[in-house]
Amino acid sequence: MTDNRTDNKPHVDEQVGELLTGYIDGELTQQQRQRVEMLCESSEEAAQLLEELKALRSQLGAAPLTPYGEDKWRESMDDTTVRVSRGIGWLLLGGGALLLAGMVVAALFMDPEIGGWERAALLLIYGGGAALFGSVLRQRLIERKTDKYKDVEI
Amino acid sequence: MRQELVQLGGSAHALATQILGNRDDAADAVHDAIATALARPGRYDPQKGSLKAWFMRVVRNRCFDMLRSRRGEGVPSDEVVHPGASPEAAVEQDQQFAALRRALATLPADKREILVLRDYMDLSYAEIAIVLDIAAGTVMSRLHRARLALREAMNSDDR
Repeated sequence: MTDNRTDNKPHVDEQVGELLTGYIDGELTQQQRQRVEMLCESSEEAAQLLEELKALRSQLGAAPLTPYGEDKWRESMDDTTVRVSRGIGWLLLGGGALLLAGMVVAALFMDPEIGGWERAALLLIYGGGAALFGSVLRQRLIERKTDKYKDVEI
Repeated sequence: MRQELVQLGGSAHALATQILGNRDDAADAVHDAIATALARPGRYDPQKGSLKAWFMRVVRNRCFDMLRSRRGEGVPSDEVVHPGASPEAAVEQDQQFAALRRALATLPADKREILVLRDYMDLSYAEIAIVLDIAAGTVMSRLHRARLALREAMNSDDR
């Protein structure tokens, strides 16, 4: 069950060691637990290893492994909510603007009172506006992707 | 779900730090995982396990995505070896925790993560199997090897 070695560390065979680990984690069956308890009564090495593993476990359980509290993640979540709602807002605004533009263009072609030259002039104005808007939007999107200082808070 | 994710943030950050070896990257990973979880809450199936296990798996997957994407960039080795090191840690009074962090830092990531999942987060073996995507029967042996490795590393640190 145990090896006879000269150093002062407990040497317990792997299978028993795994049972000790399962024992301290409360993951063994009743029968396995009884086996471990009997083993620890008969083997000093097994009992010593069990205590060492227990101590390690409680030490790690109490260790401050993260500097952040819940506020950090609440902020993170709020940030995500803001981004999602902003995205939905832009989507609705863009959809509405496209619909309106489509209605205006349709009205231009359907209204018999608007002459050919007037229709052409209005189309050029709308077309120019759309081209300028598209160009600015494209530039802003490129900047947003490539600007390495975008996350710097002033 | 929001409140539960807020409560799980700290544990998730501890896990991500052990995988990525860097607190800032770990915070980014947790932030992304929270965004993913909030964007697709339907992906969580309570029948398959706890929210904690599912969320830790999301965090772990995000960490591995980050590791894959930064493989080409190269990772500063000191950050991997000392994931807990920071100016605050340097002045920390508690030498026991400092020794524990040093010992943890010498272990491979797979051992660190299973130790954190069990001993720090208190996940059951079944939940650990879900997070790590391994057979439930192998959790005990893996965990035992990780604990022995940590004990060995702490003993070496004492010498």
